[in-house]
Amino acid sequence: MNAGESSISGPHSARAEPWRGLAWLSARECLRVSKLWTQTMLAPVVSSLLFILVFGLSLGSRIREVSGFEYDVFIVPGLVAMAMAQAAYSNNSSSIFQARSDRYIDDVLAAPMRPWQMNLGLTIGGAFRAVLIGIALAALAIPLTGASVERPLALAAAVLLLVALFGALGVVVGIYAETFDHHTFINNIVILPLTFVGGVFYSVEVLPSPWEEFSHANPLFYVVNTMRYGFLGSSDVSVWLSFAVTAAIAAAVVAWSQYLFTTGRRLKP
Amino acid sequence: MSLEPPALSIKGLVKRYDDGTLALAGLDLDVPAGEFFGLLGPNGAGKTTLINAVCNLIRVTGGEIGVFGHPASSLEARRMVGLAEQDPNLDRFLSVREALLYHGGYYGITRARSVERAEEMIDVFDLRAKADVRAPKLSGGMRRRLLLARALLHEPRLVILDEPTAGVDIELRRELWRYIRMLHSRGTTILLTTHYLEEAEALCEDIALIAGGEIVARSTPEGLKERFGAATLEDVYLKAVHQPRDEAMA
Repeated sequence: MNAGESSISGPHSARAEPWRGLAWLSARECLRVSKLWTQTMLAPVVSSLLFILVFGLSLGSRIREVSGFEYDVFIVPGLVAMAMAQAAYSNNSSSIFQARSDRYIDDVLAAPMRPWQMNLGLTIGGAFRAVLIGIALAALAIPLTGASVERPLALAAAVLLLVALFGALGVVVGIYAETFDHHTFINNIVILPLTFVGGVFYSVEVLPSPWEEFSHANPLFYVVNTMRYGFLGSSDVSVWLSFAVTAAIAAAVVAWSQYLFTTGRRLKP
Repeated sequence: MSLEPPALSIKGLVKRYDDGTLALAGLDLDVPAGEFFGLLGPNGAGKTTLINAVCNLIRVTGGEIGVFGHPASSLEARRMVGLAEQDPNLDRFLSVREALLYHGGYYGITRARSVERAEEMIDVFDLRAKADVRAPKLSGGMRRRLLLARALLHEPRLVILDEPTAGVDIELRRELWRYIRMLHSRGTTILLTTHYLEEAEALCEDIALIAGGEIVARSTPEGLKERFGAATLEDVYLKAVHQPRDEAMA
C-alpha cells in the first residue's frame, strides 16, 4: 500500500452532482444486462422465435384467420409482449434480489441519491433488456411472418406502459423476495399463465361464455391488446380501455415500488 | 474553540428492530471534526446499528443524527460520509476498476474525476494486478483493500471503518494502520470500530465504549485507564461493559 504517495487529495475535494448517481446506477444495470447477454438476451429471443416458428409457421397453416389476420401474424404482438414483460420483470427482480442478498445494494442506499432516483435507476435495466428483446424479435418476426407496425405511436406508448408495469413489479418482488424461488414463482405461476390466457395465441372473442368474460378480468389481456393494436391496428376490446387499464395497473405498481424506496420498508431493517 | 460543527452529532438515537429487539436505547454522541474516534463494545452492543443509522442503512425509531451540521439523511451529509462495512459487500458483476468507478458515479462525482480517483485508489491499495478481476474472484485481503478504496474514493470528510482489520494478516493490518493514520493527518475524521483493543489504543485519540445500545464510558485511552484504575485497555473494556451504566459513567 503506497500510503506516502500523493493519492489522497484531501477530503471532499470532488465536485458532486446528484443527478449523476441516477445515470451511473442506470448504466450499471444496463452493464449487467450486457455482461450476461446470453442469459438476458439470447435465450428469450430464441425461445420466442421458436414459438413463432412452431405455432405460427408450422401449425399456423392449419388454422384459419384470426380476427382477420393470418395466424402467424396474429401471434407476433402477443409473443413480443410476453417476452418483453418477462424480461422487464425477471431482470429487475433478480438484480435487486442479488444486490440485497450480497448487500451491495448498501452502496446505493448510502449514496447521495433521492429515493425516486434509486427506484428509476434500478428499473432501467429491465426496460433496457425488454426493449432490446422487443426490437430483436420484431426485426426477426416481421420479415418471417409479414406482420407490420400499423400504429407506431400507439406501439411506443404500449411498450412504455409494459416496461413500467413489469419493471416496477420486478423491483417490488426483488425487494420482498426472501429466496430466489419467490422471484421465479411470480414469473412461472403468475405472469406466464396470465399472458398465455390473455389472448397471445387466440382472440378471446372465440372463447365460449364464461371464459370470454373471465378473460376480461385478466390484466395481461389488456397489455397484450395494447401491443396488438400498435402492431396490427386491431384490438379485442376498445383500445382506450386497454390503455386505461394498463396505465392504471402500471401506475399502481410504480407507486408501490416508490413507496418501498421512500420509506425504506423491506429494503432497510 | 472551533466553530466547525461536529463531524457527528447524535441525540437520543433509538432503534428497535421489527422483531422487538432494542439495539440503540436513546444514544447520545458527539464526534468533533478531525478526530480519530474509536467505538468499542461486545458483539450485539449496537456498534454496527449505530453506523448503519448514520449511513441511512436502517430505519431509525427515534432521535436525530447530524453530519457536519446536516441531517444524516440529507444528500449533503451522505456525500461527506464514506463507509467500509464489516463484511465485504462488493458488486459481483463489477471488476475492481468498475466497482470504484461506479461508486464515484453513485456519489455524483464527474466521470473524469471518478476515473482519476479509481486509478489513484488502485495504486494506493496495490490493486493494479487485479484491476480487471471481478470481486468474487478476489482473495479476502484484496476484498478488504477494495472495500477501503471504495469507501475513500469520493473523498469523504467522515470515514467510518467497521472492523476494517478483522480477518486480515499482520502485514496488511499494519499497512492499513499506516494508511488510516495518514488519512487522519490530512484532516479526515475517522470513526473506527474494532475488537482489537491494541488497535484502538494505537490509533484512536478518543474512545467510547458501547454496551446495551448506550455509551457507557468515553475518554482518551489514558483517561479511561485512569478512570477505571486499569493497567490496560482490555481491563477497562471488561469493567466498563460489564458494570452498571451509572457506575461506568461516573
